[in-house]
Amino acid sequence: MDVFLQTLVAGILKGGLYALIGIGMTLIMGVMGIINLAHGQLMMVAMYITYVLHLAGVDPYISLFVAMPALFLLGCLIQRFLLNPLLKVDTILPENQVLMTVGIGMVLTEIIRFIFKSDYKSVSTGYSNATFFLGNISFSIALGISFIIAIAFTVAMFFFLIKTDIGRSIRATAQDKDAAVLMGVNTGRITIITFGLGSGLVAAAGCLLAPVYYVFPDIGGPFTARAFIITILGGLGSTVGAIFGGVTLGLAESFGATYISMDYENIIGMTIFVLVLLFLPGGFKRLTKI
Amino acid sequence: MSTGRKLVFAVFAVVLGLCIGSVVVAAETLKVGIVLPLTGEQAKFGEIEKRSFEMAAEEINGKGGVNGKKLELLFEDDTGKPDVGRSAVEKLISREKVPVLTGGYSSSVTAAATAVAQQFKVPFMVTTGSADKITESGYDYVFRINPPASEYPAAVVTFLEQVVKPKTAVILYENSLFGQSSSKSFEEDCQKLKIDVVAKEGYHKGAVDFKPLLTKVKSLNPDLVYMVSYVMDASLLMRQAKELDLNPKLFIGGGAGFTLPEFHKNAGDAAEYVFSAALWVETAPYPGAREYFDKYAKKYKEDTEYHGAEAYASLYVVADALKRAKTITPKDVRDALATTDMKTAFGPVKFVSYDKKTQQNKIPTFLVQWQKGSLETVWPKGVADKKFIFPVPKWNERK
Amino acid sequence: MKKKLVALLVLAVLAFFPLVVKDNYYRHLMILFLMWVVIGSAWNLIAGYTGQVSFGDAAFFGSGAYAAGLLSTHLQVSAWWGLAIGGFVAVAVGLPFGWICFRMRGAYFALATLALNEVLRHAATIAEGFTGGMVGILIMPSFVSKVPYYYVALALAAFSMLSIHWVVHAKPGYYFVSIREDQDAAESLGIDTHFYKMLSLGIAAFWTGVAGALYMNYMGFIDPEVVFSLHDISIMAILVGIVGGVGTVYGPMVGAFLMVTVQELFRSGFFGLLKYLAIVTGSDALGVLAEAVTGAHVLGFGILVVVVILVLPNGIVGDWPKIRKSVFRMKTAV
Repeated sequence: MDVFLQTLVAGILKGGLYALIGIGMTLIMGVMGIINLAHGQLMMVAMYITYVLHLAGVDPYISLFVAMPALFLLGCLIQRFLLNPLLKVDTILPENQVLMTVGIGMVLTEIIRFIFKSDYKSVSTGYSNATFFLGNISFSIALGISFIIAIAFTVAMFFFLIKTDIGRSIRATAQDKDAAVLMGVNTGRITIITFGLGSGLVAAAGCLLAPVYYVFPDIGGPFTARAFIITILGGLGSTVGAIFGGVTLGLAESFGATYISMDYENIIGMTIFVLVLLFLPGGFKRLTKI
Repeated sequence: MSTGRKLVFAVFAVVLGLCIGSVVVAAETLKVGIVLPLTGEQAKFGEIEKRSFEMAAEEINGKGGVNGKKLELLFEDDTGKPDVGRSAVEKLISREKVPVLTGGYSSSVTAAATAVAQQFKVPFMVTTGSADKITESGYDYVFRINPPASEYPAAVVTFLEQVVKPKTAVILYENSLFGQSSSKSFEEDCQKLKIDVVAKEGYHKGAVDFKPLLTKVKSLNPDLVYMVSYVMDASLLMRQAKELDLNPKLFIGGGAGFTLPEFHKNAGDAAEYVFSAALWVETAPYPGAREYFDKYAKKYKEDTEYHGAEAYASLYVVADALKRAKTITPKDVRDALATTDMKTAFGPVKFVSYDKKTQQNKIPTFLVQWQKGSLETVWPKGVADKKFIFPVPKWNERK
Repeated sequence: MKKKLVALLVLAVLAFFPLVVKDNYYRHLMILFLMWVVIGSAWNLIAGYTGQVSFGDAAFFGSGAYAAGLLSTHLQVSAWWGLAIGGFVAVAVGLPFGWICFRMRGAYFALATLALNEVLRHAATIAEGFTGGMVGILIMPSFVSKVPYYYVALALAAFSMLSIHWVVHAKPGYYFVSIREDQDAAESLGIDTHFYKMLSLGIAAFWTGVAGALYMNYMGFIDPEVVFSLHDISIMAILVGIVGGVGTVYGPMVGAFLMVTVQELFRSGFFGLLKYLAIVTGSDALGVLAEAVTGAHVLGFGILVVVVILVLPNGIVGDWPKIRKSVFRMKTAV
């Protein structure tokens, strides 16, 4: 029983972090249909910002307030100068933008490697390994906090999209870009803001992940893959879906590791991904309608 | 377009000319081709090895070189990919006409590179690439200074046999060449020691959360947890073991990640009392080991580790062979390498054949333990500079 | 007619290449180039002509390579049989996948191919007993000389291009393009789009698998990270396709040549030119530059991806009129 409960707790807590990674992706994919294969790499950049600030004695939770604006800006620049121009060029294959994000991901990784070398860095804090026990079940405090922050961001995004002007414009662009243009929405500007927001959110995930994990130039890739699975699972553009998607993936990985083998961690994720694409296109969003 | 094409040809001509030119200039020196990952994920170790090769070359050339000729090191970047490693070796052999090759960090690159060397009949003295099969293919032009992965835990085995005497063990390993082959051989060692392996689980490097795996281990309650992990996975495993209050009699790392300073930096106090197999320690009773360690630290303001020592020793072995070779041709250098018998900072080097292996160096290994934040050699007794701490206190008994 | 002449001329030059150039290093680069011609042409058929962009070419490449390698380790037959069998193994992987996943469109299909490759890579890693896991498969290459490999690669490149040339100029080819341009319209015209997508994928998988088997024979070593690599195989295949020209028969050849050359240029610091200049001139700045170029060759590769997509989204052959126009305009301006 302890094994089952501990696995459940581990899966849910990890899922919270995954959700935060997924929210940014779901916005970008939902609004612009852009498949961002540089998502994990953007998070990696945020983790290095956290690391540098940590060297200067800044707590990772405080560095949220630096990393998020910084990545928002970086995201805006990428969209403005690298992705938006692609929409105007006449090409045979629309998938060019996917490849473009792959290139951006490579460039980000290599620039970071150029500066910091292929060295493993740590952001160790007092609470990195802090736990409390409930019976025999251990709860990680750092992951617990990140879970709460993930929920908070989701709620904030939810109301931002529903209540504010920019939020409404973003949703309008997501629903029908041409109609949005006709209604006077500056869609070019909206796409820039959306990519910035998505990058900012994944930066938050990076700041929260850094203390419990480690920092390395190549860690982006696997998180990009997970972000996808979460987005597909939760449904494009659905912030609430991202939470469900994140937790589902977290649980699937954890139970897989405990009851099958940790070897299959990645295969489980990929299989869920293909199954959802085939049998539940639209993800959880289709079931919940949010 | 035609001007563009002319330009391309011109550039090619210049490049070709330069290469021929460099051959003429280099007639005075002895070339040694070295293949290392200087960029990409493994660049860190490539750099440590490169620096150590350069240190050794400076020393050898400072003392007048080999038979009056200076050593010239030709580094080629294999970027950690076998096909690139292969073309790098081909370039060294067919363009630079090197009489001897050394280096080779990752096993996959080394496997591909040594096959080329064997084909062209140019001796390759492998520095690191630890996959067993590299010296099991019957290549007569391939030598290896590093012990094969399966022999890393030799000191662990005697320690378990004489001190710990565990009954059950769990083996966790990274799904890499090193992890898969050395976990397999440790399982065989366990059978010989009559230790019951209750679980053997692989994982893919870079995992975030080992808690489900460790929860399972906890429920099996083994005496020994043996882990073959790279540095950051090693650290996460220990940190999360602490979080879960997982208390086997002892944790042992199978070399690689557990001895690096980054492991301790990331794992913090969770690294305390962890044992690890080690190939080389600066306190080892080898001539020049300590001097090499201090010199490296002084020159590069960084600590070196066993990969560096291997590289440093490799060049001495190669230089020794070049000195004894009748002529500087691949064939004669190969014959000279085969009769190597010398002491280096990495230990005694002699290429012997046993079991399926050919031209393989055999060196003893060590057991180290993290004690109060520093890595101490604790086994075998003859070289131990600190007494091992065993039994290890449980997590909640520690301060 | 002129086109045919150019093609024959190129073939003749390639056929005489190893007789003229004795340097193994260049021969090696040429073999890589020819291998990429095969892979690039195959990618171009499924992505460039049929519009189903594959981000998982490595899945087929790896299947072919493993088919060849496993033949020699398990059945003790020559890995050369892999050339015959590897392609079919790749088709056997590709067709069921296509049958299931072709109901997805555009970018989602691309992601599914990515997932296929990941699954195969992990499977090959975990199935230690069968594939050797990360230990990989090591065979002794059958020839010391590069010439036999060169001609095998040349033959494969020629046949793959011929077969693809033939297919795209026959009826299926027009169906492929119609699927790319507008799948719904194609369907409403009565084209069995699912079948033709499968056909296109089947041919592409076949040639990619054959290239994988060639890789196994030539390199003598494979492991899951090498042959199922996202960056080194799948992305490289896309780049070869895009740089040369999407939806053109000769594009992949141009792309393969450029990509192999560029990769080697960056890796070797322009064939050691920069380093040499630094030594000759004694200039520290050049030395630093040489270190930076070789140190950042992946960065250069990444920047190249970004620039190519921004400037030449349809590749050199595809955007040739555009290039010629801008060059021409520059000349008149001068």
